Amino acid sequence: MNRLFVRRNHRHPYFDGRALIGLCALWFWFGLGALAQSTASPVNANASFSTRATHLLGLENTKHNSDGTLSIHDHTLQFQRDGKAGAEVEITSVRNVFLNEEDKQVGGVPMTLGKAAAPYGGGRVVSLFAHKNYDILTLEYMDVDGGVHGVIFQLTKGKGDLVRNELVARGVLSSSGEEQRTKQSTAEVTHENK
Amino acid sequence: MKTSRRNSWIIGVAAILVTVVAFPGRLPGQTSAAKSSGATSGSSTQRNVQVYRVDAGDHDLAYSFQVAIYENLIEELNKTKQFERVLRDGDRNAGNIPNLLVLKTTIEKYTPGSETRRAVTTVSGATKLTVRSQLLTSDGKIVLERTVNGEVRFFGSNLQATHNLARNIAKAIQQSTWSGSEQSSAMLGAQF
Repeated sequence: MNRLFVRRNHRHPYFDGRALIGLCALWFWFGLGALAQSTASPVNANASFSTRATHLLGLENTKHNSDGTLSIHDHTLQFQRDGKAGAEVEITSVRNVFLNEEDKQVGGVPMTLGKAAAPYGGGRVVSLFAHKNYDILTLEYMDVDGGVHGVIFQLTKGKGDLVRNELVARGVLSSSGEEQRTKQSTAEVTHENK
Repeated sequence: MKTSRRNSWIIGVAAILVTVVAFPGRLPGQTSAAKSSGATSGSSTQRNVQVYRVDAGDHDLAYSFQVAIYENLIEELNKTKQFERVLRDGDRNAGNIPNLLVLKTTIEKYTPGSETRRAVTTVSGATKLTVRSQLLTSDGKIVLERTVNGEVRFFGSNLQATHNLARNIAKAIQQSTWSGSEQSSAMLGAQF
């Protein structure tokens, strides 16, 4: 019994443990890569650009304030809600793209209710810190009859620029009026000072 | 004496029940009033309206606000069912449609607000919009002219003000005594 134990230890000290750990790490690494590939590929198979966005209003058959993926394919701008059919706009029909920033409270309705319920004005203190700047991307496009449509998306700060640049690279006009990014907070401060 | 009184009471209750069951829509006064007002505005259902894009004038109003007012206005006008068709600005079909009215919206006053300021102070940071809404005939005659406000004071994003504004404009058009006939519309246009 003792001999057997000594023989095994002598032959490959720690071999079994190391091999097992290495095997697990390899398996985890490849598994993770495969998982990432399988989740990313269905949405962005042919997209040259895609990002998370919130559709605020404007797209046909798409709910207001819905989250999804905004992607630019060859000739179309597509917004796809999580696990649902997407809405498309032909890039050639887009006449103008505008970008501005807006400061918004985070957390949505649950957070608002929580803040309202907090005693001793604690909610106000939370509100002071629970806000974030977003890019508001506005598109103007024409339908087949020539009617003007408007769509507004909310993106994480910095992503709006990327989408706009992608669209401009495909021939969409970016309004000069919006080049100077309108900051709501700045406008508000100037108004309050008057 | 007691039995006859009880009988008459039972008969009375039964009569009320029968009336309620037989004429369910006629009892509430509001319902009948709403229906009759809907019937009077029935003449205007034959009308069509084309919504023009918002004219910001000299105001430094973000494009997202202008587009939001325009889109919300189309949505709210469709909801009222006051017009047979609600066309968009630039729609080529507008030339072929009879009885077409044009809705022009011009920004008169804009007070930018802040959602964070509203959340922190409650009393300040309101976003306020005041617009002049004009409903015109195809030959440029003003049928209806109203100054309408839209604002967000406590909860909600700044763009919520555009939704409230559009709803108020649609409501103002719906509640106006404008009947759709040329004569009365000209008179009303002069009144406003």
